[in-house]
Amino acid sequence: MITARLGPALAEARRGLRLRRRRSLLTALGIALAAAMLSAALVIADGLGLGFDRAARAAGLPDVIVRFDPQSRSTVAQRISALPDLAGFATRSELTNVGIGFAGRRRHDAVAEVVGSGPRRGYAVVAGRDLRSRGSEVLVERAFAQAWGVELGRAFAVGGLGPQRVVGFVEAPDNVGYPLAKPRFYVSRAAIDARFGREADPQVNYAEIWLRNPRYLDQVLVQARASSFGLHDLRFATRSGVRVLLDQAAGIVIDLLVALSLIALATAGAMLAASARAEVQRRLAAIGVQRAVGAPAGHIALAQALEAALVAAPAAALGCAAGTIATYGPASRLLSLLNEPAPEAALVLPLLGGWLAAVLIPVAAAAWPAWRATRRPVVGLLRGADVAGSAGSAPGRLARAGAVIRHRRGGLAALGARLVSARRARLLATVITLGLSTAFVLLLLSLASALSSLETDPGALGKRYQLTASLSASQARHVARIPGVQAAAPRYEVQAVDSFSLGETIDVVAYPGDHTVFEAPPLTSGHRLRGSGQAEIGAGLAQALGLGPGQTVALALPSGRELRLRVAGVISSLDHDGRVAYVPASALLSADPGARSQIAVKLRPNADPAPVTAALAALGAEPAPTSGATARGAPLVAVLRTILRAVAIVDGLVCLYALIQACALTVQERRRTVAVLRACGAGPSAVRRLLLGAALTLVVPAALVGVLLERLVLGPALARLAASYATLPLTASATEVLATVAGLVLAAGLAVVWVARQAGRESVLAGLAA
Amino acid sequence: MRRITRRRALAEALRGSAALPLAAALPLSAGLAACDLTATSTPTSENDSKNQSHFGSTVRGTWGDPVGDGQLRPGPGEPLVHRTELGRRAALGHPLASLAHVTDAHVLDASSPARVTFLDRLGPPFQSTFRPQEALTAQVLAGTVAAIRALRPQAVIQGGDLIDNAQSNELAHALAILRGGRVQPGSGRDGYFGVQLASDSDPFYYRPDVDSPRHPGLLRRASRPFTSPGVTGRPVLPVLGDHDALVAGELVPSELTRSLAVGSRALWDLPAGLSLPPGARSDLLASPDGPPAPALVDELLTKALEGPTVGVPADPSRRQLQFAEVQSRLSALAPATVPRTAERLDYAIEVGPQVRVIVLDLVRRGGGSGGQVVGGQAAWLASELARSGRRWVVVVSHQPLDSSAGGEPLLALLDRAPRVVAVLSGHTHRNQIRARATSAGGYWLISTASLIDFPQQARAVRIVATTGGGVAIQTWMLDHVSGGDLGSIARQLSYLDAQGGRPRGFAGSPADRNAILYRRPSRS
Repeated sequence: MITARLGPALAEARRGLRLRRRRSLLTALGIALAAAMLSAALVIADGLGLGFDRAARAAGLPDVIVRFDPQSRSTVAQRISALPDLAGFATRSELTNVGIGFAGRRRHDAVAEVVGSGPRRGYAVVAGRDLRSRGSEVLVERAFAQAWGVELGRAFAVGGLGPQRVVGFVEAPDNVGYPLAKPRFYVSRAAIDARFGREADPQVNYAEIWLRNPRYLDQVLVQARASSFGLHDLRFATRSGVRVLLDQAAGIVIDLLVALSLIALATAGAMLAASARAEVQRRLAAIGVQRAVGAPAGHIALAQALEAALVAAPAAALGCAAGTIATYGPASRLLSLLNEPAPEAALVLPLLGGWLAAVLIPVAAAAWPAWRATRRPVVGLLRGADVAGSAGSAPGRLARAGAVIRHRRGGLAALGARLVSARRARLLATVITLGLSTAFVLLLLSLASALSSLETDPGALGKRYQLTASLSASQARHVARIPGVQAAAPRYEVQAVDSFSLGETIDVVAYPGDHTVFEAPPLTSGHRLRGSGQAEIGAGLAQALGLGPGQTVALALPSGRELRLRVAGVISSLDHDGRVAYVPASALLSADPGARSQIAVKLRPNADPAPVTAALAALGAEPAPTSGATARGAPLVAVLRTILRAVAIVDGLVCLYALIQACALTVQERRRTVAVLRACGAGPSAVRRLLLGAALTLVVPAALVGVLLERLVLGPALARLAASYATLPLTASATEVLATVAGLVLAAGLAVVWVARQAGRESVLAGLAA
Repeated sequence: MRRITRRRALAEALRGSAALPLAAALPLSAGLAACDLTATSTPTSENDSKNQSHFGSTVRGTWGDPVGDGQLRPGPGEPLVHRTELGRRAALGHPLASLAHVTDAHVLDASSPARVTFLDRLGPPFQSTFRPQEALTAQVLAGTVAAIRALRPQAVIQGGDLIDNAQSNELAHALAILRGGRVQPGSGRDGYFGVQLASDSDPFYYRPDVDSPRHPGLLRRASRPFTSPGVTGRPVLPVLGDHDALVAGELVPSELTRSLAVGSRALWDLPAGLSLPPGARSDLLASPDGPPAPALVDELLTKALEGPTVGVPADPSRRQLQFAEVQSRLSALAPATVPRTAERLDYAIEVGPQVRVIVLDLVRRGGGSGGQVVGGQAAWLASELARSGRRWVVVVSHQPLDSSAGGEPLLALLDRAPRVVAVLSGHTHRNQIRARATSAGGYWLISTASLIDFPQQARAVRIVATTGGGVAIQTWMLDHVSGGDLGSIARQLSYLDAQGGRPRGFAGSPADRNAILYRRPSRS
């Protein structure tokens, strides 16, 4: 039955394609562009959004990572072995400031991971092989190997150990890769023993714990904490904690990208649907004829669907391939910096899904209106359905055309506007497509501005100090006396965890006095902290722990002590994903007397930082400018820019396509009108004016829709998707709006010129005969 | 499993011989009514023992962690393992005696300021000074008593360390649970006031209101009064343990500890700089119920008192006890034949016509948790063995004889005694059954787990005659059972405890828990 219906419908669809070859090509181009956007969004969303999980799976990332001051391995092993829900564990020594050398390049700040011989390592060997128990071998982190051009089999110099053969490259998502973090390599305990002699019970400072059921992680952590006495500077990091730590370097960038991609997905889908629907609207008269000669409704809808499918399937495939090629490379580079693997085969299914969506959306958008159209009276369909009014008789049209050309210069443009407005459904679809594209471009521009601000402007984090100096707290008053310095105070910062949800890491910041002099992220609820028993917490922390003003936040400090403070206010902070707490220094120091500090230096307005920096250096400090939220992620931002550029180009092409299609269809449908104008003496410029009127009719409302959409919907949605814990400035500026509208008008001009040239190639007689 | 219809069950019940098969087909909750395992009424074939459906019996079902994720779940029962180190398998005949061995209940007053919980963080040997489930010891003992009531043994051996810190109120609570009565756990006017309060900001203590697994309101519920029916008419044979009369099972109460116990100042935090002296750590296999050296505790306590203290409600009921008073109050549980005023709680008693139980008191009167044999005990034991005649003998002590100072001569005496069949002990908190082969026939050294650490089990012991004049001991563990969820929470917390019985293997192997221990006929 279905096959019997399919055959004729398919034949008709093929016939339609042959008859409308150029228009089909144009439609295919649109579908290809939307599919490219769709696939680009998928590559980014899947690659970056799921990158951490993929890396954690590949590397066998432990459920808990514990860092502590060096202890004998047997002591640590004994305590870990006693934990419930334990599936396995591994210990290692993490050595910092190790000298390395390769091919003439040297560094003295590398991190060496001295691993044991157990089967669980917490990293994935992505090239070469794992370490063996014997031999002078190292594994090098892939991001670092790529940056330095390290090759397998080559000698890699390690301070104290001499040349070691590189046997593999690894990815370990427990930290970001080089250059976001220090270069990292892995060496076996056996190699250390071979060089320095075997230790019966070596010291370790790092343990990885795998659980049978991570659901009971909190119970395990409570037990681990209860039995950890004597282990100093103890820090737990759970998988979610590691993710947060990685986010410190890259989170907001990735979150923005993923959010952008999700919006791009929705946008591309809407464009596909609008475009396909417009195509059907154009064919209403033809549908009317078919119905008049007795064609069944199902047959018509099926033929429309098949025709759309025949166009969409190859176009979507091409578009998906193009979008993937354009974004896969940059996304992979970005992932590599995060020690995360490229999605590779894992992307096949999402891309297939994207392709299917790019085919099904136009098919559905073609079949459904066609089906509905067949339910309408045939007479209405034959009259042109949504064409406004009647054009009248040919002599009348000629007379009116002549009057338009002779007396009203603006009349041609107005006529163009009338012509394009006549097809209301198509007008609406095109305006939506253009509006979405405009909004998307505005979003990209505001995103670029926001990233730039986050990268370079500490003020975006609420930081009001410009320099930090590595000096003891007691030297703050000396620093305050330096000319050009308005205020200086010790800034204490420790990494804590929530006492009751030990996987939730918290960045604890403390000042001896009023912290708002140096840091004042905007307050969203409550009030500023007053008194030693209060804290201001970031909205990210408040969301994670369900805290609000008046409640108690309990911070488990690396010292092993717990600090309990009443939440005075909740602040909007981008730092550490909003998982920050500002506490009084007296409270922090009473619980953790060894908390590390730097001097925060606030300069006078318009003061030159150079002499202050020199004066600080003279005091023996290592002054450093205050950084922004994504300062550590500068390489990420660079990659992001590449991706944004690729997406913006695709989006610009979508705009151009939509305009060309709209103008071309108008000319195609109004061949006789254009021919009449030309017969009355209208030259190419008159045709261009006519088309310009049509294009402006599309562009002006589209620009308005685009600006409003970005300002009211997409910008806030992206900000909320990327960082619900802080207010991101994602509203396009006036300059950005003007630039975008100008770009839109330029695209309209290009479309007008191109279509006018195409129209000029047709003879007037042929047009009149149409 | 044999299918039992209602009609058939009723018919068999009316015949009065089908209690066990019926029980085997009933759910656990129905088992209480169905089983009667007294020595006189219970069939003792091997088949029957496999099908026993005790209320709390681990033969029928017990708690386990089959997936190893730290969560206990009800699981299948553990069958009795045949152990033939001391004799070949033989058909089981009539029962001679049935006993319940419940030891190391450590009923404690978790609000007591005399507790030295802060030493727990120093790890071994102080891991017993704080346990996450310690506020629930009374409920666990009550659940065990419920299981014992269902077992209906001829006598209940209370194996020592009934309480934890030699306090009068602890002993009052424990005795009320055993003999029946109203129990008001804890002390002070607020019910619970200790280190596990949510308001305590010391993260080294498990605080059920805020730490995982969270049990909001647990401490309040743990200190609610309850009524225990007791062991209902079964005689209790008390054994003295170190914790019954020594502070933390270690120190003879002093003026300092006495005033601390009833006073309003408590030590919750480890004072800065206080650490375990080098070489003080013992290995993890050592006894968990008390540190090995009183001098060490004394020294640490003295230092700790110089540090900050916390205000707690004072309560005179926390008075620390003298040995004589503890012995007297414990003896009151026992049959009248047990001496009330002797210097030590050594005594012998018949359980049925063919079994004699000899109880040894090995607690050091000068302090220290390890057992110690004192002068005269060997002679007394020898005379009691001689008086036993043809009766089978079960010797009971709190500390194992083989790890007690001066224990070897006593073991040598037992080695020569042909009718000694078992030596029961506690103190190690571990289920263990070892065969001690001797020329006289040998006997079984049986150690039972505590009620405070995982697995929180008591032991059923049934002595059965075997064909050919031999004897066998059927023994299986009893899980505590209770009406509410507090017992289950206590068991789960004890299982999670990283310093508790799970990582230290206190549950023992299956052969240490449920077994039939054969012993060849006596050569005398």
